[in-house]
Amino acid sequence: MIYFDEAMRVLLANKIRTLLTITGLIIGVGAVIAIQVLGNGMSGAVQGILGGLADNSFSIIPNGQQGDFRKAQVRLRDIVAIKNTVPNISEALPLAITRQVVHAGHGHSPATVATASQQRWAKAEFAYGRNFTADEVAQRGAVCLLSDKIYQRLFPKGGDPTGTSIHVADKRYIIVGVMSPPKAGVLNIQLGGDVSLPYTTYMRDLLQGHPLNGASFYVSDIPTMPQTEVAVVREMKRLHKNAAGIQYFTFDKKTFNQAIGGIFGALTFVVSLIGAVSLLVAGIGIMNIMLVSVTERTREIGIRKAIGARQGQILMQFFIEALVLCGLGCGIGLIIGLGIGFAVDQLAIVKLTGTAPNVPWIQATLIAVIFASVVTIAFGLYPAFRAARLDPIEALRYE
Amino acid sequence: MNNTAGRTIEITSVTKVYKNGQLEVPALRGVSFSVERGEYVAIMGPSGSGKSTLMNVIGCLDRITTGSYSLDGTDVSSLDDNELAEIRLKKLGFIFQGFNLLARTDAVKNVALPLFYAGIGARERTEVAKAKLLEVGLGDRGDHKPNELSGGQQQRVAIARALVNNPAVLLADEPTGNLDSQTSEDIMRLFADLNAGGRTIIMVTHDEEVAAHAKRVIRLRDGLIVSDEATAGRF
Ligand SMILES: Nc1ncnc2c1ncn2[C@@H]1O[C@H](COP(=O)(O)OP(=O)(O)O)[C@@H](O)[C@H]1O
Ligand SMILES: [Mg+2]
Repeated sequence: MIYFDEAMRVLLANKIRTLLTITGLIIGVGAVIAIQVLGNGMSGAVQGILGGLADNSFSIIPNGQQGDFRKAQVRLRDIVAIKNTVPNISEALPLAITRQVVHAGHGHSPATVATASQQRWAKAEFAYGRNFTADEVAQRGAVCLLSDKIYQRLFPKGGDPTGTSIHVADKRYIIVGVMSPPKAGVLNIQLGGDVSLPYTTYMRDLLQGHPLNGASFYVSDIPTMPQTEVAVVREMKRLHKNAAGIQYFTFDKKTFNQAIGGIFGALTFVVSLIGAVSLLVAGIGIMNIMLVSVTERTREIGIRKAIGARQGQILMQFFIEALVLCGLGCGIGLIIGLGIGFAVDQLAIVKLTGTAPNVPWIQATLIAVIFASVVTIAFGLYPAFRAARLDPIEALRYE
Repeated sequence: MNNTAGRTIEITSVTKVYKNGQLEVPALRGVSFSVERGEYVAIMGPSGSGKSTLMNVIGCLDRITTGSYSLDGTDVSSLDDNELAEIRLKKLGFIFQGFNLLARTDAVKNVALPLFYAGIGARERTEVAKAKLLEVGLGDRGDHKPNELSGGQQQRVAIARALVNNPAVLLADEPTGNLDSQTSEDIMRLFADLNAGGRTIIMVTHDEEVAAHAKRVIRLRDGLIVSDEATAGRF
C-alpha cells in the first residue's frame, strides 16, 4: 500500500531521528516484556519448587522473633499429644535437620541429614529402590533415602546402591531408595535433606538433646486444613501453658503460594507502572516528532490537497506513518525484551531450578501489539488530524 | 460532462476579502465573467491586482467572501472541504509557477498521485501516468526525481499530473514564470495543443507574449476587471 511505502520512505530518510523517536518505546516495551518472560519463568520455577510440598500437609515452627524462644520449642511429646487430640491429622512428623559427614565405601561428603516420614516422600519418584515402609518408621529402622545430589557425590560411578550402606556419625544405615533428579531443580532439594532418615531413627541417633525445628502434620481432609492449623496452634500454645507472648507460625503450600504471589503482584505492578510511564513519555516523543513532521511537510500537504486529496486520505498518511513508527518501536522492543527475558531465564532460573523455560510468546506479542496501537491512537491521531485540517492555500504558501 | 448552457465556469459579483486580524485586505472587489467549454483565457494585471486570488477561487482552493461561483452548474460556495477536494481531483487540473512537485518522488509517482487519491489500483496508475508523461514529451524521464529534471521538464511533469484524471478545465498560475523564453514557448505550444484537443484553459500571466497564445484576455486591476476581450491570435 502506498501509505506504507511513503511512511517507510519518510522514516528511512531520517534514520537517526526515527531511531531516537522510538527509543522510548523500545525500552518501555522491552522492559515490560522481559519482566513478563522472567515472571513467567519464575512462577514456573516456584510452582516446581512448591510441587515438592504436599497438598495435605502444613508445618508449624516457633516464631523466632519472640522474647524467650526456648519456651516455645516444639517437643516430641507436644507432637504426639496434638496428633492424638486434634482431629483430621493422619500423620505427624517432627522436623529436624543437621549437617553431617556421610561416608560411603571409600568416599565421603558433607551433607544435610533430615527427618522424614512415609508421607514426606509419598509423592517422590525413585531412581532406585523405594520409600520407607510404615514398619521402618515405626521400628526406628537403620535405613535411609538419598537425594539425587548426594547420590551423585557419593557414587560418582553410578549404579544401584540400594542394599549397601552409608555411615553417619559412626552409625550405619542401609540405603533403601535413591530419589530421581528433581524436575524442579536445585532449589527443591533444599526443602528436604540430602539424606533422609525415619524421624524415629533420627531422634534416637542424631537429635541428642537438640531441640526440634518444628513439626509437619498431614491431614485427611484438605478443605478443612485451615481449621486444623488453627487448632494445632491453639493446642501447641496450651501445651506450653499459654506463656505470655508465645507465638507459632504455620505454613502450607497455599500460604507459600500467596506470599510468592504477593511478591510477583508487587513486581508486576511496579513494572506495569514503569511501562505506563515509559509509554506516556514515548508517546509524547512520538507526538512531538509527528507534529514536527507535519510542520516540515506543510507544503507537501498543500500540494496533496491542491491535487485533490481528501482530509481522510491525508489523515491516513500521517496516521500510518505514526503506526509504522510505533510498530517498529514495539517490534524491536518485543525482540529485545524476549531476548533479555529468555537469556536471564536460561542463565538464572532454568539453571537454578531445572524448570523448563516457559516463554509466553503469544502474551508478549499481544502486549507489544496493544502498546503500539494505544500509543499510535493516543499520540499519532492528533498530529494526523492537524495535517488533515490544514488549509490548502496556506499550506501551499508555507515556506 | 456536457452542460446545457455550454458554460463551465460562471463567476458573478465575486468578492474576496482577506482578514489579517483587524486588517481587511480586499483582493477581489466584485468580479463577474463566465468561461465556456474549450475556451483559452489569459488573466493579466499588475502584481497584487488579485490574479492569484481569482485563480485559487476558480481552482476551489479558496472560498469566496460574497457573490457566486458555479462550476458545471454546481454552486461551489455551498460545498464542504471534501466535496471541494473531489472537484479539484476530478474536474480541475492546477499548474503552479513553482511546479509544486513532491521532492524525492519520481516523475511517474508524482503524475500518478491524483490517480491514487481517485482510488485507482497501482498497476493502472503507473500505466496511465507513463502514458501522460509520453503525451507531454517526457516518456523517457519517468524514473527521474524533480531535482534531476530541468525547470521545463518539471513543469511538464506538473502538467501531466494536472491532466492525469482528465479534467475538463486546466488552471495555470504563471506557468512560465520560472522558465526561460525558449522553454516558455515549448510549454505554450503544449497548452495550444491541449486547447485544440478541447480542454478549457485559464492561465495567469504578466507576460504579453505568453498571453498572446490565449484566445481571450481578462485584465484585472485592484481586484476589478478592467477589460475582457478576444485576442487576434498568433496561430
Ligand atoms: N493570504 C493573504 N492574506 C492577506 N492578504 C493577501 C493574501 N493573499 C493575497 N493577499 C493580498 O491580496 C491582494 C491580491 O493578491 P494576489 O491575488 O496574490 O495578486 P496577484 O496574484 O495579482 O499578484 C494583494 O494585495 C495581496 O497582498
Ligand atoms: Mg500571483
